[in-house]
Amino acid sequence: MASVESQSGDVIVFTPKASKPPPPTTVGVLGWLRENLFYSWFSAIVTFAALYLIFITFAALYQWGIADAVWEAESRRQCLDASPHGACWAGIIVWFNGIIYGRFPLDEQWRVDLGFILLVLWLAPFWFPRLTGKIGIGITAVVFYPFLAGYLFAGGERGWFMQTMVLLAVTVFITNWLHIVVSMVTGRSLREWVVGVTGFADKHERLHKYPMLGFQGIVLIGVYLWLGNWSVSEVNTNLWGGLFLTLLISVLAIVTALPGGVALALARRSHMPVIRVSAIAFIELFRSVPLITVLFMAVTMMPLFLPPDFQLNKLVQAIIGVCLFAAAYMAEVVRGGLQAVPNGQYEAAKAMGLTYWKSMNLIILPQALKLMIPNIVSNFLGLVKDTTLVSIIGLYDMLLMLKAAGQNPIWIGLHTEPLVFGAIVYFILCFAMSQYSQALERKLKTTR
Amino acid sequence: MRIFSLYGLGAALLVGLSMAATPVLAQQTLQLVKDRGHLRCQVGVPSPGFYQLAADGTWSGSDVSVCRAVATAIFGDPNKVEFQSVTSAVRFTALANGESDMLSRTATWTLFRDTQLGLDFTAVNFYDGQGFMVPKDSGIKSAFELKGATVCVLTGTTTELNLADFSRANNLDMQPVVFEDNNVRNDTYLKGGCDAVTNDKSGLASQKAGFPNPNDHVILPETISKEPLAPAVRQNDSQWMNLVRWVVFALINAEELGINSGNVDDMRKKPPSPEHARFLGVEGDLNKGLGLEKDWAYNIIKKVGNYGEVYDKYMGDGSPEGIGIPRSGSANALWTQGGLMYSPPFR
Repeated sequence: MASVESQSGDVIVFTPKASKPPPPTTVGVLGWLRENLFYSWFSAIVTFAALYLIFITFAALYQWGIADAVWEAESRRQCLDASPHGACWAGIIVWFNGIIYGRFPLDEQWRVDLGFILLVLWLAPFWFPRLTGKIGIGITAVVFYPFLAGYLFAGGERGWFMQTMVLLAVTVFITNWLHIVVSMVTGRSLREWVVGVTGFADKHERLHKYPMLGFQGIVLIGVYLWLGNWSVSEVNTNLWGGLFLTLLISVLAIVTALPGGVALALARRSHMPVIRVSAIAFIELFRSVPLITVLFMAVTMMPLFLPPDFQLNKLVQAIIGVCLFAAAYMAEVVRGGLQAVPNGQYEAAKAMGLTYWKSMNLIILPQALKLMIPNIVSNFLGLVKDTTLVSIIGLYDMLLMLKAAGQNPIWIGLHTEPLVFGAIVYFILCFAMSQYSQALERKLKTTR
Repeated sequence: MRIFSLYGLGAALLVGLSMAATPVLAQQTLQLVKDRGHLRCQVGVPSPGFYQLAADGTWSGSDVSVCRAVATAIFGDPNKVEFQSVTSAVRFTALANGESDMLSRTATWTLFRDTQLGLDFTAVNFYDGQGFMVPKDSGIKSAFELKGATVCVLTGTTTELNLADFSRANNLDMQPVVFEDNNVRNDTYLKGGCDAVTNDKSGLASQKAGFPNPNDHVILPETISKEPLAPAVRQNDSQWMNLVRWVVFALINAEELGINSGNVDDMRKKPPSPEHARFLGVEGDLNKGLGLEKDWAYNIIKKVGNYGEVYDKYMGDGSPEGIGIPRSGSANALWTQGGLMYSPPFR
């Protein structure tokens, strides 16, 4: 504090005057406008030009898409009669189910919904705070969910293997949720709770797994009695389509691309020549050809090399093609991440006496993957959009369903509206993914 | 020596692979289809009139009806078909590799395709041809009046080549404006970006139906190319080729004999002539050579209809679904009415 003792002995304390408010033109909305939009006469002109451009674009879009649009009609002709220059959203409404589910039979579409809801429920616990055993839940999702969903979508008779996997999947799903409920209510895991209730708590810890196994066995028997004879009718995969197929291929490709890419990247940096050379050959082969070539090879050439009664499924062939392709690209992304980890980290891990796999799992990969999030996600976004290529080999993904709408005599010529709708759906999907990845980056604090 | 045995192994593998590469052809398609319990019929990416997808996922159209007719001939059930919708880029490969049993999809029958692509065409079920469409108020009445006109055309198709040929042969000096996509081409034409648009006439008719004011446009009478569209099967399977061919003939013959899905039951009970009786399987054993049941033709007509019914429903200008190509006077009329639709006798 600046204080001075005057000659008379009084203490004069310097009290500054309250500062004047800044000129109104530099603060608040006005200041912001002045600073950013009207800084000089040139920027003012640019601002007005841009505003005008935005206005005419959106006015035209509004006029076409909302003001003049037709929402109820039975054919495109009716749309045109009602409003020749407006969008015919009635066509999208009629084709909505087709665009979402493809040619999946109408009465069976609930199965697709159920499969999707189960996936959400299965993965939802990841966002619950203070829940133990998340990794276990994640592993069960990867191991068991695909069989349950696969059966829901394809249906038909269940062989002994499928029967086992479906029943196990339902059992695991139920015990997962019991675990979540028990944890939320009592704060203990399901395992601790079961051990406590059965009175095994004072037994040796090694024995604790038995009551849990027994408990799961009881649930399994219950599930068997409940669903043992349950079955749904068969839906041929050539009826799968629409957004459902797009998501199915994308999710499978994404789920396999990451582990596949990590494995390939590690193999490429391996010191073992056979592994390194085969990884390089695989990656370079798949990166040197376009995805469409891979798809053509997978679908039209592969059957020529297989015995005649060995009928591969076109969808499976295409999915395998997309997965291999995605893994090759992901491998290079991950390799970039591995190279970005400083050498000191590798050396430190070795100095700690960690084995190769331990040093990778605990030291290198966590850092590399964290760094790679933006690249991995842009790879995934590209992949989601690349899946539209399967329409060329005749799989009715969303794009092909959108095109088919305009080729039906009743809706003939309806091509702008489906594409606009498709663009919106793709935007939502991709924007959500990119937002999620940004949230993930913030959570993991990737900046060093 | 080891290196040689490796080569030997490689060679053996190659031989094995190439032997495995021609497996499907050895088997009789009809037996394969019967064992499987349904027909795999290849159509294209939806094209109005020929093969179109409804919002509920069902296929219909004139080429789809041929698929259904073949399935009906074999199984008595028009729904025992798995439709494979394949882009034209892989259509012939998908037939050759055994994925499809037959192909019924606006494929033009040409010498090259018939002899060099490992397939056999069966019988023409639609005569298409390239034509021109102009705005009505242009006052143009004939393609020969299109001197110096700009013409919108799809690139990379025979359509583009036909246009160039026609223009040169008649000294018309037409200017092609090329497009990749139907819809963009149509939009350009509608906005006056070209004086005329050229395509197969069936395509012109269906696209015209999708214009805001279809009556403001006319399709000119000239046809500048021959596009006989026929279902095709894999080469070297005469039994299967005969079957598909005679199913198409059955559709045409039924119309010629005046049998349709409405009167076929009466006709079978009291055949008006021995010809009718033979056709419907009441007399004789025409089915034997085809490997089918006696009532195969009856089933087709009963469940799919005759050629005329199919045409009117999907291609004609009468029904709401039809794409509006008039039949009378065209090559697609019966031979008795001045067209080219002609079935060899059923005897």
